[in-house]
Amino acid sequence: MNQLRDFFEAEKKRIVAPGPFFTARVMARLKQQAAENGIWDMMPRSMRPVLAVALALILCFVAFEFFIPQLPQRGVVESFLESEESPTESFLYNDTDVPARQVVLQQLIAPEDQP
Amino acid sequence: MDFDRELVVRAKTGDRSACETIVEQFSPMVFRLISRFFRTREDVEDLAQDVFLKVFARIDQVRPDENFPGWLARVTVNTCYDELRKTRRRKVALETYGPEMAGQLSVAPQEPDSLGKARLAVQQLDPKLRIPLLLKEVEEMSVEEIARMMGLTQTNVKVRLFRARKKLASMLGDAEEHRK
Repeated sequence: MNQLRDFFEAEKKRIVAPGPFFTARVMARLKQQAAENGIWDMMPRSMRPVLAVALALILCFVAFEFFIPQLPQRGVVESFLESEESPTESFLYNDTDVPARQVVLQQLIAPEDQP
Repeated sequence: MDFDRELVVRAKTGDRSACETIVEQFSPMVFRLISRFFRTREDVEDLAQDVFLKVFARIDQVRPDENFPGWLARVTVNTCYDELRKTRRRKVALETYGPEMAGQLSVAPQEPDSLGKARLAVQQLDPKLRIPLLLKEVEEMSVEEIARMMGLTQTNVKVRLFRARKKLASMLGDAEEHRK
């Protein structure tokens, strides 16, 4: 066991000191790493799960909006005939609560006034 | 070791001068620890660079009340452990697929015979036995310090030290018998 004791003593005396450019090398690698890493690595680790959940929610919303079409407000026939409708017809056939303009009201009242 | 806690706070915000000061202040300690497990200057320097890159990548995990030098030493020892395991796996692969290369010894030619044998025996130990042994015998750390550094219980460290010494004794004993 003497050889082991000698070995440990020799190891205690062995010193490897950092070279004069060690700090510069570490800083250069740090800079290079920062340039290579994206925004994901720039933020603190504790923020990452929060951001990941937020991103997932946004993606879900966008996908929902994109893939699930909105129900059409009116049917195909109504859409086709829409261009031929006069404002009067539009007022009569479409069940709308929007008050009619004065012109439209006049056109509706006019036939009744005629004898 | 005197340490300005403000440095860590500044390094967390990405202050490069604070990072530089940390490297300058702690590189001798990191080099000393790594050189206990690796012999060539190139290996020691490469690993020391990796340690500091890891440290700055995880610096936001350091709590304000945490002992930063202790945390840094823990990162250093863990990095060495990972590297030793990788080296060991490579060595096993070499022994399996290329016996002529695995046969090359890593003892410096100018080393006295007995020291060389002891070094080889220590190098052949499993990293989980070798690290606590070298921290105890060369770095002269207490069992409590080793346990804290390696994330083990004190009993576990004592068991590993016992096994390491027993294995070394058997290896060196065998070598003695071969010589006779």
